[in-house]
Amino acid sequence: MSTRPSFIFLILFICSGCDSFVVEFPDSSEPLKFTASSVDKDSKTYQEGDLKILTWNMRFGIGRLPFFGDSCGDKVIADETTVASTMQAIAETLNVIDADIVLLQEVDLESKRTGYWNQIQYLLDNTYLNYGVYASTWQSDFIPTDGIGRVNTGNAILSKFEIGPAERIQLRLRTDQSDLVQYFYLRRNILKAEIPELASGQKKFFAINIHATAFATDDTKQQHVDKYVEVLGKIDSDGDVFISGGDLNAVPPGAVIDYCMNDICDREDFHVDGAEPFHKEGSYFQNFQDEPDILVPLYDRYQPAIEIEAINQPENYTHAPVTSMLNDSTIRKYDRKIDYLFTNMEWEGSSGFTHQACWEISDHMPISASVRPTAGD
Amino acid sequence: MIRLLLAFICFICSVIIGQQRIWDSHSAHTLPAKRWSVGVFQPVRYGISDNLETSFHPGWFFIIPNVSFKVPHSDLGSFKAARKISLVYPTPLLNMLSREGIGGLIDPNLTTPPMLGVSGSFLFSKEALGFNVTTKVGLDVGLVMGELDTRSNIDLPLVYHRLEVFHNKWGLHAGLDLVKEVSKDLELFLDLDLRLLPDFDKGNKSKEYSMRSGDYSIEHKLLVAWNHGDRFRILMGYKLVAGEYPYGKQMRLLPYIPMLEKWVPLIEMQWAR
Repeated sequence: MSTRPSFIFLILFICSGCDSFVVEFPDSSEPLKFTASSVDKDSKTYQEGDLKILTWNMRFGIGRLPFFGDSCGDKVIADETTVASTMQAIAETLNVIDADIVLLQEVDLESKRTGYWNQIQYLLDNTYLNYGVYASTWQSDFIPTDGIGRVNTGNAILSKFEIGPAERIQLRLRTDQSDLVQYFYLRRNILKAEIPELASGQKKFFAINIHATAFATDDTKQQHVDKYVEVLGKIDSDGDVFISGGDLNAVPPGAVIDYCMNDICDREDFHVDGAEPFHKEGSYFQNFQDEPDILVPLYDRYQPAIEIEAINQPENYTHAPVTSMLNDSTIRKYDRKIDYLFTNMEWEGSSGFTHQACWEISDHMPISASVRPTAGD
Repeated sequence: MIRLLLAFICFICSVIIGQQRIWDSHSAHTLPAKRWSVGVFQPVRYGISDNLETSFHPGWFFIIPNVSFKVPHSDLGSFKAARKISLVYPTPLLNMLSREGIGGLIDPNLTTPPMLGVSGSFLFSKEALGFNVTTKVGLDVGLVMGELDTRSNIDLPLVYHRLEVFHNKWGLHAGLDLVKEVSKDLELFLDLDLRLLPDFDKGNKSKEYSMRSGDYSIEHKLLVAWNHGDRFRILMGYKLVAGEYPYGKQMRLLPYIPMLEKWVPLIEMQWAR
């Protein structure tokens, strides 16, 4: 081998080992795509009629395990029995509901905390869903804190129908963190996917999935919702249609805004002089002036799966932290609504439903609703 | 953790009191009686007799007690041969790293039981084609006195396959070291090491939840040494680790600074007398 090819080989060899330790994403990037090991040829073709849409923060398949990052939990690496039984329950639930398009948040892809499980592929292989796209929210070779280790978790869209062009849209990072914490922290996103099979004439059909910030105490949540409104607005103004939803980590207009005392842990103090912070992160929804009305633009412009008159009724609550207790022995299953479905079409009648029976499978309840993409044409 | 990373990644500075190539710790040569060497990150080595050398890492000794013994073996053809046995007790360090907050590399809910790692190696050295060549082959045994949770591991290059010997109970290792004198002042060091965990994947109950997976690791190092007289030298180069892990195959060039997302040269300084 002459000197020059040897040198080039050496450089290539060295650079091939230079993947980022923490993955930082550009404003726009291509998500990962998945296909079920066995695609159902009948279900991948749209047969007209209603489409059932579902959104669910599936909490990376650990059910009600008190994970250390949530409220008062202290567990880090889930055991095999917990993950296996929860993933099976999620797959069975998706099959029973039989949704055509599923918007998932907190899906793990080979993270240590869930035994390096490829949860997207598992769900595709164990449900009626055939195709998936995935956009990471948190991807690092190693998180050097609390024993987390390798992590890759994010948003996914699963569909019976083939997924066309898709985009991972980066949301602004939190500004209330140090550079070191921010480097190892989550990078939230909007996942946008076109589904050509559901296009109607010139109208393209999009599925949009979002998981907005939970714990920011600055205006990051406003930035995330603004970007979400912008993405939906662009589709709408182009004359296309969308179904969209996710975990917005924001309560509806008119809801209670302070859950600090519901979520409080032992040895914590809030709402008393000298308490720092005064409110519990993630449990208080007025960190800036207009936060309680942050979702008004969505309700003003689009159709919610759960009618606005019913959004603050207990049967539509979607979340409570797993360590939240009504008393010493009674778990608080849900006490707020922070998960949503919207469309710029019309949901079918009163098809919007919050599946609160699923409360043991995650700390979020799925919402489903039906829509007919060709209606009105 | 940051200190550990920086210590590992940025700068390896060692002080060695010794002389000549016979003192290279990876070769089949042993220290002469009553001669010794010491380093910050290099092991303390001492020639108990002409036929017995001992070594241990002083900086780590109280959190990861360790000791090695090397004895000459009858020459194998033209090769100088030696046997080496190493003992390591990683339990105190692992339980220190099993903690909440920054620096917690293992789930704080897990406790590592008493464990003893035993490694035995055969080393063969000779001069060939202008190179000092050392080959080695050996067996690793992980003795665990208690219940070791499958989740109790650290999924980082260099560390993962060494710790998983305790989950697998045993492993194999082999290696090749080459040293070439390029000029009076310049030397080239190259090594290649292989670690194997036979039948490691069989420990998983299901194919989806796979805490025990990834049965090999290859480590390669290339260093250029500039000798300034007989008593001081600087070494610069890289270390490359490729292997299979529970999440798939990965190759990582070291030292690597995460926040800068950059590889930086490995720099080592040595003094001798």
